[in-house]
Amino acid sequence: MRALRVAWLYFRIGAMNELHYRANFFIAAFQSLLALFTGLVVLALVFSHTEQLHGWSHAELLAVLGIQIIMGGVIHTVIQPNMLRLMEEVRDGKLDYALTKPEDAQVLVSVRDYRIWQSVDIVSGAVVVAVALGQLEREVGPVDVLAFAASLALGALMIYCFWLVLSTGAFWVVNMWTVAELFEGLYLSGRWPVGVYPGWLRYSLTYLVPIAFAVTVPAEAVTSRLHWGTLVAAAAFSAALFGFTRWFWRLGLRRYSGASA
Amino acid sequence: MPVIDVSELTKVFVVPEREAGLAAAARSLLRRTNREIRAVDAISFSIEGGEIVGFLGPNGAGKTTTLKMLSGLLHASAGDASVLGFVPSRRQREFLQQITLVMGNRNQLQWDLPALDSFELNRAIYQLPREAFVETRDELIELLEIEDLVRKPVRNLSLGERMKVEVVGSLLHLPQVLFLDEPTIGLDVTMQKRIRAFIAEYNRRHGAAVLLTSHYMADVVALCRRVIVIHHGRILFDGLLDVLGDRFAAYKTIEVALADGIAPLEAYGEVLERDGDRAKLRVPKAETPRVAARLLSELQVLDLTIEDPPIEDVIELVFAQEAAE
Amino acid sequence: MSFVRSAALTRTSRPRALIDFYLTLMRTAIQAQFQYRVANYMYMIGMVAEPVIYLVVWSTIAEQHGGSVEGITAGQFAAYYIVWTLVRNMNIVFTPYGWEERIREGQLSAQLLRPLHPIHYDVAFFAGWKLVVIVMWLPIAVVLSLIFHPELDVSALEVAVFAVAIWGAYLIRTMFLWLLGMTSIWTTRASALFETYVMAELLLSGRLVPLQLMPDWAQRLADLLPFQWTFFFPIQALVGELSTEELLQGLGMQVLWTAIGTGLVVVAFRRSVRHYSAVGN
Repeated sequence: MRALRVAWLYFRIGAMNELHYRANFFIAAFQSLLALFTGLVVLALVFSHTEQLHGWSHAELLAVLGIQIIMGGVIHTVIQPNMLRLMEEVRDGKLDYALTKPEDAQVLVSVRDYRIWQSVDIVSGAVVVAVALGQLEREVGPVDVLAFAASLALGALMIYCFWLVLSTGAFWVVNMWTVAELFEGLYLSGRWPVGVYPGWLRYSLTYLVPIAFAVTVPAEAVTSRLHWGTLVAAAAFSAALFGFTRWFWRLGLRRYSGASA
Repeated sequence: MPVIDVSELTKVFVVPEREAGLAAAARSLLRRTNREIRAVDAISFSIEGGEIVGFLGPNGAGKTTTLKMLSGLLHASAGDASVLGFVPSRRQREFLQQITLVMGNRNQLQWDLPALDSFELNRAIYQLPREAFVETRDELIELLEIEDLVRKPVRNLSLGERMKVEVVGSLLHLPQVLFLDEPTIGLDVTMQKRIRAFIAEYNRRHGAAVLLTSHYMADVVALCRRVIVIHHGRILFDGLLDVLGDRFAAYKTIEVALADGIAPLEAYGEVLERDGDRAKLRVPKAETPRVAARLLSELQVLDLTIEDPPIEDVIELVFAQEAAE
Repeated sequence: MSFVRSAALTRTSRPRALIDFYLTLMRTAIQAQFQYRVANYMYMIGMVAEPVIYLVVWSTIAEQHGGSVEGITAGQFAAYYIVWTLVRNMNIVFTPYGWEERIREGQLSAQLLRPLHPIHYDVAFFAGWKLVVIVMWLPIAVVLSLIFHPELDVSALEVAVFAVAIWGAYLIRTMFLWLLGMTSIWTTRASALFETYVMAELLLSGRLVPLQLMPDWAQRLADLLPFQWTFFFPIQALVGELSTEELLQGLGMQVLWTAIGTGLVVVAFRRSVRHYSAVGN
């Protein structure tokens, strides 16, 4: 598909650019390890005071942490840089450059920026998940792995949609930059299975900010506690969300073009 | 007793050498090559109270470095400097309370609030008694005519307005020594004139010594009787401006655009450039009016401009003279 | 028009001028931060996520284990983490990142030209900001209390000590982060140093969990460091059941650590300015 080709092109350029800055790699690796260490310390503290949290065992909670870090890596590598840049360009009126290119604007603004070094998180998160799976009592079957991959992809898609909807809001409310910090705070909630949170918070973290779908559902998949219904619901929800996002984006674009006459 | 006394002042910077390319970057990890830059090279001069001295030189000549050493921001590598009897690098409070360093394009006032609020802050920082402060402040505001500007948030002011407000803010403590580093840079002509007039007036009223750097000849011509020319960290000339002009810039350039463009111009003066029907001539200063009149009457002139030689050319001449001697 | 030459010669006394400066700058900061109140509020709301998550997790554990963990009930966890939000805000001071920017933009040079130690500027400005923050925090505290039902039983003494302790926390952290910030004059890797500090602080200050939940060796380590006096002590003063003696001892420890921080800053500043002036800026 054309979109994938464009994405790959930008990825190559981004990689070439960033690979020159080795210092950035060490900084990113350092920060990644610090964050991981903090997460592990909290887990260790929790483990020292309880055998399970809301029905999740130690190993399972570790898997949740790992997945949250993987997804965080995806968000910081490709989703957030593009969305923040989009908001900035809307504010400064520089979006025109993207809009005059012969590519679908949504694809373009979604794939042109990468922070390659943030993908360190994806690696460290994967290691954590692997360690966690090794400690599980149950075997992880091929179905679980498939379900895990599928739910991970759907979760990433939903986070992308969420971010794009927020960034599209910049077409109307120019100053949306604090969004990034708000999101970081909210995303921390993904460290724990979403069932831990009280009702209204749980619903918000599922349907408002799809963190549950991004982290808890894949965690359920890989720890063999996923119900088919949940996966189907995830697929349906992401389809709906994507449709809405696309519609909202075009609405924002029309407004932008109309406004800067 | 001079207010500023500088003797063999030197500043040497050590700068790592960096080449482009991945291989060079890798090499630089193992072996760091350094280069010494003598930004200021054993300069000596002294300035009396009440003098306005222009510190002239092209970019990178060492002007800003010298000012920073005299204001205590930079330690000299060698040599001595004394300002108001203090050693600047000691940064004693009594010293700092009597000087000011104004740099064009840098702002030190609070961004979001009216300048008046920042002035209040300066009052406290410099320990100024309230009545004296208010009188000084109002005097300076009136002098620069910024009554309506001081109530607006600084971020809402234009570049020129901001500069005026900055200058007032930096003089509230009535410093006896002013270091002005390119104070008119980036400002339009009208604003430049206002600032210059203001500095002259301040100097007249308060007897402050002013050391002014610029690469605008106009700044210097308007304010300074005495100039120090510096290039590559060395003083090339220290004396009256008239002497500099007479000795080294005894010519002007005439730019002329001709209707037919083929006329020979060597008879009128030294031809510096020739480009189609535009030409630039160098003519001795005394002869300029006569040559211009001749050009206008003898040729079909579409456009004629007479200019002072740019400061860089004067410096080049000074330098060339120095090298020749 | 006469000009007042005497202003250069007579000056107000130093202590009075300093108080003057603090009051003026605090007022300036309040005005400036009030202009940015929306951004401030968004930031404070975003910050609430972290303690709420901890609160929920530990309350769950408490409920699963018969109501309390190490003697702390769910309601007490709620109280701890709600007060946490104010103390966290009081902890926010001028960072090493700000230092790097300040040096880059030439503001440090401008400050060095003035006859006033630059730290006064930061202490005064942020202090004014904190006053705004405290006022803005109250509604957030109310909302959080309605949701999470904290257990709180306070005496007048505890409130008084708390009111002083939050400022002690502010001063201690200002000094130590200023110390870290000055390393920007010496190295470009100041941020790495800072992040290591933040991590140690995260673990040993009571920001993650009440220190009673940390293993013993960590608690003993924390006793040797200034971190718990910027976070755990102020919260405990209000939320915990500390005796009068413990409350006053805590304040004393804050004074001690502030003094240590200040001393280090004074010494380091002198050397750092010398270095800054030597290498060029």
